[in-house]
Amino acid sequence: MSNIDRRSLIKGSLATMMAGAAVSRAAFAQSSEPILLGVSGPLTGPNAQYGAQWKQGFDLALDEIQAAGGVNGRKLAYQFEDSQSDPRQSVAIAQKFVSDPRIVMELGDFSSPASMAASPIYQRGGLVQFGFTNSHPDFTKGGDFMWSTSVSQADEQPLLASYAVKRLGLKKLAVLHLNTDWGRTSRDYFVKAAKEYGAEIAVTEGYIAEERDFRSTLVRVRDANPDGLILISYYSDGALIARQARQVGLNQTMCAASSVYSPKFLELGGEAVENVHLGTRYFPEDPRPEVKKFIAGFKAKYGGQEPDAFNAYSYDAMNMAAAVVKIGGTDRRAIRDAFAKVKDVSSVIFGQATFDVESRRVKGAMNAELVVRKGQFALWDGKPT
Amino acid sequence: MSSWVDYTINGLIVGNVYALVAVGLALIFGVSRLINFAQGSIYLVGAYIGWVAVVQLHTPLPLTIILVAVAAAIVGLIIERFGLRPLQNSVRIAPLLATIGISFVLDQLVMLTFSPNPRALPSQLPDIRFQVGGGTIGPLDLLIAGVGLTSALLLFVFLRYTKLGWAVRATAQDRDAAMQMGVDVNRVNQAVFGIAAALGGVSGLLVGMYYNQIDTAMSLQATLKGVVAEVVGGAGNVPGAVIGSLLLGLVESYGVAMLGTSYRNLFAFLLLVVVLVLRPNGLFVSARQAPPEPLTGTFIAPSRPVQIPRWALLVAVAGFAILPLLPVSFYVLQTLINAWLLGMLALSLTLVAGTMGQVSLGHAALLAIGAYTSALLSLTLAVPVGLAVIGGGLMSAALGTLLISPSFRLRGHYVSIATLAIGEIVALVILNWESVTRGPIGISGIPPLSLFGYDLISPASVYWFSLAVMVVLALLQGRLLGSHLGRSFRAIRDDDIAARAYGLGLNRYKSLAFIFGGFAAGISGGIAAHLYSYINHETFNTQQSILALTVVILGGLGNVVGAILGSVALVGLPEVFRVAAEYRILIYGIVLLLLVRFRPQGLLGTV
Repeated sequence: MSNIDRRSLIKGSLATMMAGAAVSRAAFAQSSEPILLGVSGPLTGPNAQYGAQWKQGFDLALDEIQAAGGVNGRKLAYQFEDSQSDPRQSVAIAQKFVSDPRIVMELGDFSSPASMAASPIYQRGGLVQFGFTNSHPDFTKGGDFMWSTSVSQADEQPLLASYAVKRLGLKKLAVLHLNTDWGRTSRDYFVKAAKEYGAEIAVTEGYIAEERDFRSTLVRVRDANPDGLILISYYSDGALIARQARQVGLNQTMCAASSVYSPKFLELGGEAVENVHLGTRYFPEDPRPEVKKFIAGFKAKYGGQEPDAFNAYSYDAMNMAAAVVKIGGTDRRAIRDAFAKVKDVSSVIFGQATFDVESRRVKGAMNAELVVRKGQFALWDGKPT
Repeated sequence: MSSWVDYTINGLIVGNVYALVAVGLALIFGVSRLINFAQGSIYLVGAYIGWVAVVQLHTPLPLTIILVAVAAAIVGLIIERFGLRPLQNSVRIAPLLATIGISFVLDQLVMLTFSPNPRALPSQLPDIRFQVGGGTIGPLDLLIAGVGLTSALLLFVFLRYTKLGWAVRATAQDRDAAMQMGVDVNRVNQAVFGIAAALGGVSGLLVGMYYNQIDTAMSLQATLKGVVAEVVGGAGNVPGAVIGSLLLGLVESYGVAMLGTSYRNLFAFLLLVVVLVLRPNGLFVSARQAPPEPLTGTFIAPSRPVQIPRWALLVAVAGFAILPLLPVSFYVLQTLINAWLLGMLALSLTLVAGTMGQVSLGHAALLAIGAYTSALLSLTLAVPVGLAVIGGGLMSAALGTLLISPSFRLRGHYVSIATLAIGEIVALVILNWESVTRGPIGISGIPPLSLFGYDLISPASVYWFSLAVMVVLALLQGRLLGSHLGRSFRAIRDDDIAARAYGLGLNRYKSLAFIFGGFAAGISGGIAAHLYSYINHETFNTQQSILALTVVILGGLGNVVGAILGSVALVGLPEVFRVAAEYRILIYGIVLLLLVRFRPQGLLGTV
């Protein structure tokens, strides 16, 4: 058996047994089979941590969906195939899902190469590829079966630029970015917006994902003499840069993209990330009910663990999938059409998510302006640091 | 000006970090002539044991170090006893492959135990910083330097002045002679592995504290940098490893200073290639010293290849050809398409590594060159896809051979290391040469495969196309091996001095092999580009090179049918194990180890 969530399977069979006892033995055949979603993502390899985080978000969303009676009276389940986020494997998985009639839509993959390599197969096979972490500008151009709730960097980066330039008053910026499709695209949008707001870009430095040592890079940044550092990073490299910046004597204000938003950022960065400013699309103390419900549910299910952004993405994605299946049923083509029809789905990231039919993405991401104070993320009080 | 002081200090600090790994690698290479690809995994294990000690048990620093050293040493002893000792009398490549398998197993075990999330490993030293230049140095920086230099010094003294040290050096020089002189070779090996593993473990702990961060993906990068540093210093030379590491750190730091961060690793691997070309034995090994490899047939297992009758091959090809007509799922077809693409790459590698004796660890670069060429030809110049793929093959043949040619005068493991570096360099050039390759954004919208104006889109047509291309390449290669040329190739592999004495121009024959091999690999990359429709610099990575090497060794070096069989097996196995999810790579590693243990000459034997 593959990696169908074991818990839901056990639950499913329990429910089946009870249903069988209560009604008649013949009745359960069709409707007690769960509606199955395919997930293609990394469970092993260098990106394994993200696959693990996805599962937490999915499972939480599924618990809530099942508790509310499932989707159209049936349970929702997923089959997670490990692609290691490797394009060779994601294309094989794509064929597997496309030719498996039980799969009604697909979620993933994690990275752009793996996702976009599989896109032609999903497009031709007529199965929705719902890439919820794919911010590559070309992802949804793969065809009308590609949809994404990943916030386009065209949306997010101007918000960060406005925070840094307009609100914090930084005029001369150094940008450090992860040199991947995501980091590069983000950097370009950020630089464009920051210049429009009147800032000068003193230096930009791209680093590869495996990089651990940033001291020489930061000396270069120091020589450019900026008054603010912008980190387009994930939480682990962001924390490393912040620590090493202090070591080379950089004490300028730092701003970071929402992707550093994770309790891990605080844990890994320690005192060095104190006063780092960041825009984020969700914040646990955000008073919105969607966020409160998500945080409470997550902590209850995972022993008090704080959720982070990737948990939120996958949780939202599963809820979105449920909303879409509710309208589209189990027909693959109808599910594709349902993406255009869903309205105001409750979402941690967007508040209410509705797709833009042209871009096949959700528009209108909101940013909370945060700052790290006393080892905690806090809403920024407007005071410069 | 003061910034250059800082660049120098930073380079030395990170060089010290590399030295911690490189010293262990050098020690093992010195004795077993083995590049231990599991050293990075022991470093990983050390970091996590350190995390348990510091965060869970709250041990003080000296005790933490001792604990980590002892635990890592035990891991090293287990690896030596159960992973490597049984391979003593098999081919040289077997232990190398075994260390790769062991690293899979260790990395995976750590990941399953601790989850893949990064963890903070707090430094147990006070956070005092001393002002140096425009930056600062802390106690941990000094401790790392101290541990690196002290361990190198102690090892030097141990090798030079103790009885066991003499035994180690004697074994390194001539194993059989040492054995005849009464040296307990196994004990020597054990001691060396124990010491190297202890060092590796402690380095993981210190580096983890230095960055306040450990994660399960850190082992490969550590191994790569360690290997570069070690070879630059002179493989097997312990003080050389330290100096090589410092040099590597400095070159990287100055490289960043002059050109920017994204060129950092490019500098590291260029340094390696330059050193290998100018001083093939490394900077600190006397040029007059005999090369550390025996000159003949180093990697090739003496074996009688399994002869597969012609009719059986015909039946097999026919069977695979009619598969799409049977009710098989597209998933099976797609998996086999992957196998045929890997098969073309394996044909390429089995020719250069098996027939020619040039073991390449950077073969993915040939895929990348073919893929980018074909993608760009069809997208920007609107060349028909069929021709573009051939163009990719030709470009891989030409450019690949040109890039690899500096390594032609190298031998044995040095060829592997040089090709590994060239593979990395190609990936980094693709990342940085944005005007042509579009850098990290990658190339999207690559048109699908087509032939004479007909798009090959259905899985069956792509399947037939790639199967046909692979069979044609295999037939050509089979013909080549049976010819006079093929015999010359094998003569060079088996004894290059004798071959030269008979008037064979080594470089020209090696070039020919790489031209043919490069073409096959380039075609494979080209087809993949059109199949995926999106490629970037990460699509063809080191893991792909290692996979290809695994395939050809599994099938039997130089064996055309073996390469294809190996491809089907190694594409198929992970798919079969897909149900095992997180345990998949662990099982794959164990299977690899068992294969190396019980069939080191490959399933079908070496030709």
